[in-house]
Amino acid sequence: MVVKCKNLVKIYRTADNFRALDGVSLHIKQGEFVSVMGPSGCGKSTLLNMLGLLDEPNQGEYFLNGVPTADMTDNVRSKTRRENIGFIFQSFNLMPKLSVLENIALPIRYTDTPRKDILPRARELAARVGLESKINSTPLQLSGGQCQRVACARALVNRPSLILADEPTGNLDSKASKDILDLLLSLNQNGMTIIMVTHDPKIAESTHRIIRMKDGKIV
Amino acid sequence: MKLPDLISTGWTEIRSHKMRSFLSFFAIAIGIATFFYTLSVLSQRYRDIDRAAKISGTGRIDILTEHPLDMTQYYILKEMLPEHTSLSFTPAENYFDSFLYKNTEIGGFTYTGILPTWKDSGFAYRLEGRFINWKDITNKSRVALLTVYPHEKQKRYLEEYTWNREDSQEKILKITEFTSHVNLLNQQILFNNEIFTVIGLLHSPEIKNDFRFPQDREDTPKMYIPYTTYYDIQPSWRDNSSSTIRIVTGSESTTRAAASAAVGFLRSQFGINEKPQPKFFREEIRMRVKDALADLKKMLFLGLIAMIAGGIGIMNVTMAVIFSRTKEIGIRRALGATKRDILAQFLVESMLLGLCGSFAGMLLGYTAVVYMAADASQMTFSWWVVALSVLIALVTSFLFALYPAWQASKLRPVDALKYE
Repeated sequence: MVVKCKNLVKIYRTADNFRALDGVSLHIKQGEFVSVMGPSGCGKSTLLNMLGLLDEPNQGEYFLNGVPTADMTDNVRSKTRRENIGFIFQSFNLMPKLSVLENIALPIRYTDTPRKDILPRARELAARVGLESKINSTPLQLSGGQCQRVACARALVNRPSLILADEPTGNLDSKASKDILDLLLSLNQNGMTIIMVTHDPKIAESTHRIIRMKDGKIV
Repeated sequence: MKLPDLISTGWTEIRSHKMRSFLSFFAIAIGIATFFYTLSVLSQRYRDIDRAAKISGTGRIDILTEHPLDMTQYYILKEMLPEHTSLSFTPAENYFDSFLYKNTEIGGFTYTGILPTWKDSGFAYRLEGRFINWKDITNKSRVALLTVYPHEKQKRYLEEYTWNREDSQEKILKITEFTSHVNLLNQQILFNNEIFTVIGLLHSPEIKNDFRFPQDREDTPKMYIPYTTYYDIQPSWRDNSSSTIRIVTGSESTTRAAASAAVGFLRSQFGINEKPQPKFFREEIRMRVKDALADLKKMLFLGLIAMIAGGIGIMNVTMAVIFSRTKEIGIRRALGATKRDILAQFLVESMLLGLCGSFAGMLLGYTAVVYMAADASQMTFSWWVVALSVLIALVTSFLFALYPAWQASKLRPVDALKYE
């Protein structure tokens, strides 16, 4: 089991103590491709932040690859993120001043990988997402679809066990969206576990399982 | 993240925010320029004091007495002093005079009598020929030493008083001009109606290489003759003039004993009303070091103010950088950067700016030294000043970037990612 959550609760300290997650329990197996759907504000992104160790729940348990995450220090959470989780964001979140190659290589720079192995590994990933010819370009010189492919390559560069994609096709046209979906599907066919938040039912249908959320709960 | 990656990331950020980087860089550069200038000038002053102290000799005491001293008194005092102590007498007054060389009258110098031990302290000349020896003293030899000055751009302050005697038709030549053209070594001159032989020329160092204390530098061109000869040909001095006793013990520990011996000697010779004031050169050096230290404090205070201003500039700019790069911090944290990685990233960036600022500051400081320092020609490159300037710049940029960098590292990844 890659992801195992039990009764996750996240309360935002607002005037009405908004419950973004209200007792979410979830099991995701190795190699599953799961999509999360629901109206805006239902807690999809909050759930993804919890699963990605970017945020902590107020209540509940979360086991990543069988390891409890509740007592992890900030350093361990960072280490776990870089070694086990790959993020793909709707707005790509690439570094505008870095080249495609450097963007892909960025997560490896935080590991102990010898410097000489970093760029060859990033180049290999750039080839895998079909951007070999663009490695020296900056994100500003790329199309939205190409940027998202760079983000996919960056998410994969540390060989994570889990990919978390937050509306990866949200900013893309239909052609680019299909390309990204195909890329994710091919990764999944190679055994990668993927959790993807999406608003697009067609894209969700291509995944193994759809989790629907409403008001912080899985319905 | 490894250091080379941190440096390359920092450098990319510095280059992509040129104006912001320039402001921090400029602030640091001004501070470092002040430090560099101060430290360079003071380093030179300390070295000059050290050199002067070495030339003047260890354990030096000067005592002025209102009486002329003869050689009998010299030997009595010598006996009273610690072993291996150098003792020298010189008349306290100098007289302007002139001599004749092949019917040419040469003036513009003062003359005085010295002992062979005179060169044991404050002697910075290159001697051509020979020095006055004890035989000259015993025989009251009519021999002379002349100071000779090198050609140099820098003007030295030397009094060169000459006058035309009423009975003389020819103008008296100035000795400095004359000796620069004519070598008088082993030549005979007519001085005080007696024939003197020039046995040695004392080539004075160039001003920029003259590290003697000012009181050891001659204020007029000089002719030196044996002390006993001087005693012999200057009855007016012998009757009512004063002398300087110079003692160089060679060790600081024996100066007190030597000074007491000299004071005791003067009292035994001239009565209990004699109140000689020994002038310890150790004190002189101490005073000079104290002056230098006081200047150092003043200048360092200014440097410190400049560095604090520079540091606040760095802090301000780093704060602004962090606000504008909050999203980037979030992305890096999401990709696995630890708090320490973020902290290190901003510190390295700031220290890189500090390093660049220190180089620019040193260049600025060096220019200031060349154009503003009093003895610019004597200034030399001191590695410790460079190292200290770089260190100050690095420490300042580190300390002032610490708080903003720490704030950046504290950002929660989820909050930073949401920031637009």
